[in-house]
Amino acid sequence: MTTPRVGIIGVGQSKFTARRNDASYPDLVREAVVLALKDADLAFDDIEAVVYSLSPDAMVGIGNAERIGVDAVGAKNKRFLRINTGGATGISSVISAYYHIAAGICDVVLTAGADKVGECGDSQTVLNKIWDPTYERQLPLGTITMLAMSAVRYMHKYGMTEEDMARVTVKNRMHASKNPHAHLSKETTIDEVMASRLISWPVKLMDCCPQSSGGGAMVLASEKYIRERKLAAAWITGVGHCSESYYLGDRMGRGFVADHADAHALKRSFERSYAMAGVNDPQKQVDVAELYAPFSNTEFHSIEAAGLAQLGGSISQLREGRFSLGGEIPVNPSGGTLCTNAIAVTAMIRAAEIALQVTGRAGDRQVRRAKLGIASGNGGDHQFFGTMVIEA
Amino acid sequence: MELLSRQETWNIAYDHALGETASFFFTQIRDNAKLYGRRDAKSGRVLVPPRAFSDQTLEPTTEWVEVGPGGQIEAFTIVYERFRGLPEPPYAFGYVMLDRADTAIGGLFKGLDLVDPAAAAKRLAIGSRVTTKFADHRKGDVLDFWFEVHPIA
Amino acid sequence: MTNPSRVGVIGVAIHPHITDARRSLEEILFDTTREALADAKLSIEDIDGIVVGANDQYDGRAIAVMAASGSVGGVDRDILSTPSAGEHAFVLAALRVATGQFRTQLALAWSPTEASPLHEVQRLAADPYFHRALPLDETSAHALQATALLAAVPGVEEAAWAIVVKNRRHGAAAYPGVTSPVAGLSDAYPLRWPLRADMVAAPTTGAVAMVLASPDWIADHQVQNVAWIAGMGWATEPSFLGDRKLAFAPALEAAVEQAYTAAAITAPLASFDVAEVSDTTPYQELLACEALGFAKRGDWLARAREGTFATGGKLPINLSGGALTLNPVFCTGLIRIAEVANQVRGRAGAHQRPGAARGVAHAASGGAMQYNTVVILSRGDEGARA
Repeated sequence: MTTPRVGIIGVGQSKFTARRNDASYPDLVREAVVLALKDADLAFDDIEAVVYSLSPDAMVGIGNAERIGVDAVGAKNKRFLRINTGGATGISSVISAYYHIAAGICDVVLTAGADKVGECGDSQTVLNKIWDPTYERQLPLGTITMLAMSAVRYMHKYGMTEEDMARVTVKNRMHASKNPHAHLSKETTIDEVMASRLISWPVKLMDCCPQSSGGGAMVLASEKYIRERKLAAAWITGVGHCSESYYLGDRMGRGFVADHADAHALKRSFERSYAMAGVNDPQKQVDVAELYAPFSNTEFHSIEAAGLAQLGGSISQLREGRFSLGGEIPVNPSGGTLCTNAIAVTAMIRAAEIALQVTGRAGDRQVRRAKLGIASGNGGDHQFFGTMVIEA
Repeated sequence: MELLSRQETWNIAYDHALGETASFFFTQIRDNAKLYGRRDAKSGRVLVPPRAFSDQTLEPTTEWVEVGPGGQIEAFTIVYERFRGLPEPPYAFGYVMLDRADTAIGGLFKGLDLVDPAAAAKRLAIGSRVTTKFADHRKGDVLDFWFEVHPIA
Repeated sequence: MTNPSRVGVIGVAIHPHITDARRSLEEILFDTTREALADAKLSIEDIDGIVVGANDQYDGRAIAVMAASGSVGGVDRDILSTPSAGEHAFVLAALRVATGQFRTQLALAWSPTEASPLHEVQRLAADPYFHRALPLDETSAHALQATALLAAVPGVEEAAWAIVVKNRRHGAAAYPGVTSPVAGLSDAYPLRWPLRADMVAAPTTGAVAMVLASPDWIADHQVQNVAWIAGMGWATEPSFLGDRKLAFAPALEAAVEQAYTAAAITAPLASFDVAEVSDTTPYQELLACEALGFAKRGDWLARAREGTFATGGKLPINLSGGALTLNPVFCTGLIRIAEVANQVRGRAGAHQRPGAARGVAHAASGGAMQYNTVVILSRGDEGARA
């Protein structure tokens, strides 16, 4: 017996930017919702359930901020719950919406959220508070330093250089220049990246994602609903999550299961979504990938975790152009997280972009003949990983 | 049209129970300037910082093992950017696998020149040996200790 | 092939009143997880996925699920988090099993008391645009709802007080030693008018875990003592209190309709042996009674006097003592579901209703019952959809 499929019938995303002084946080959510409903040609009344996408409350400065988002997503008297898996929240929300439909409870589900990262001062100040107060809160940990340490181990293990990292930024900025929604869309050069100020060795300013404000929303529907109304859809054929130990230091030393250099649990997450989708040879079957990588160095281990290259092998292949638009398997043709990061929805945008790609609606960043794409989201201290396979 | 904004700050205090395992770890630091890990019997790994159970095996840990003061660097970074609420840069910190431990514990690296990033990164390279130093007056806190790289020969 | 949309509860661990200071939060969660797994007679390796519901600000960790994840078996496992409410963890876990893609799920919620002041934490949920300057924590919101009921229903305060007495009496039997005598209605000073002292219990530290399984798992392992989900519904009120009819509970009615339709419930009062409903204040229990079809507002006082909803009555409500007895704020919702599961499994101990075969749980979270979740659990083989 085949499980009935779930499709994506509408996507909406803001033009992401640093500050949005013209809009409150719920306004940004509503902005994306309106775009997604329009894209799906549906009204609020058609939505049966909402999955609300929001990572740390502290970023928007409102406790349980989803409560004031209820109106923005039109959820009065409707099914409503919120997901938070840190940076992976957006993709976990899409997958949770998928479960509402795959369970046979709903036919049409909306998932939406927004972030106003610029309003909380330094996001690293908030992100320091994700570490537990027993052993690590007192250390100056943040997501930049945490992933800088991943870069250090990846360099040690595979010989990655700072120029290799810069090359990722150059590639993604080139992609973003073709994406009207991207926050940072100005093309750049290796020299420019190398000359940008050092934040946390070896990560420089231009190796980092921006802090973006904006919203994202998607509408999912059951196969029955889609067929009855003859709607265009991108099909969700694989979903999965996997997590690592919270303890960074356990991903080092002796006898570790996961090395902080790599993205082991991301690989395990892809194993689950690939198994579901029948992808047993990703290098052959995957046409396009949107992989969550907020720092240039993390794109390498994400590519490898997705099975698109051997461990350490993505460095030379990226240099050869394999993962650029026009190359064999374009990675982050939207510019990716490196060019736009509204934390609460970044991972949702990865899935939205793939939905656009496999339905031929990705404009100037379209990957030719893309039929099968993959999306990923990372959260926590590189701890939670959600992955999806989306096909035409 | 005029756009307004409002300022808000969050003022919440927390009193976090550390539990017996972490309490033992910190009292040993405070009173004896010693570091301890806990062994996970199933995997054999000595976990530092110590925990009452291993999240990999989901079994309780079984014995205390004294670790350090020597160790080796497993990861590091050097921060040159100022962030609100975080220390004044430049500072270096990372993870050290103490002798007799199998996992690495986070801590600050002190006593080395950070002016030249590339040179500092070389001295902190993965595998470099370090020694744990303790503050004269200790509270029973992670900041009671730090790591110093061995002097250049 | 069995209907993949049935979901059963096979393990429960409830701790509404954790007082030992010897354990850290992560250690409490580890112990609670192991206890629920033991109750379900399985190990963590048998768990296909986990959903937790915790509040970042209560925990003091900007992403509550991070440090907690390992404690509940999250390493190398599929773990999600629903910080909107503890009971939403149950909803998502049930949906996951109902897809047929998961054989088991672990659902947890917890509520520490390490943050102070807790009302300040709650006040941060008020939007900064219009309401943050007001002392609008959850107790205030509940009080506003009580005010609306006072205006709408003559004699409601007496009916509310009767619920306080009833639930605290139930609580004294269910959790001996933790309850204190209830002051008389006329003696009790107002906490936040019209909520009097005793109408809200002081926050406690709590944790609760439940194990859900598919019919295939249950059949393969010949699991006895299953509480099957016969119906489930959930819905939310709008964002601003001022946009709501506080003397009514339309979102709860919507959730009830979803659950009752799924379970084909047409005569509610006759359909259940037990109920556990949100009673963070007694006014919530009154509203829940009405929305669940047990007693319209005109009958609240009569039913209270008759003891219809007390031990030995036609439909005992909150035999556990409810949140009026023990109030681990953020996980009281999931505890209501867990309590009904235990009743139906015959595992409710001192407060077991003998022979309970079907029960309904109502969980509410947020100010003045913003989120409402209704779960019908049954021992029988009606085969209704989750």
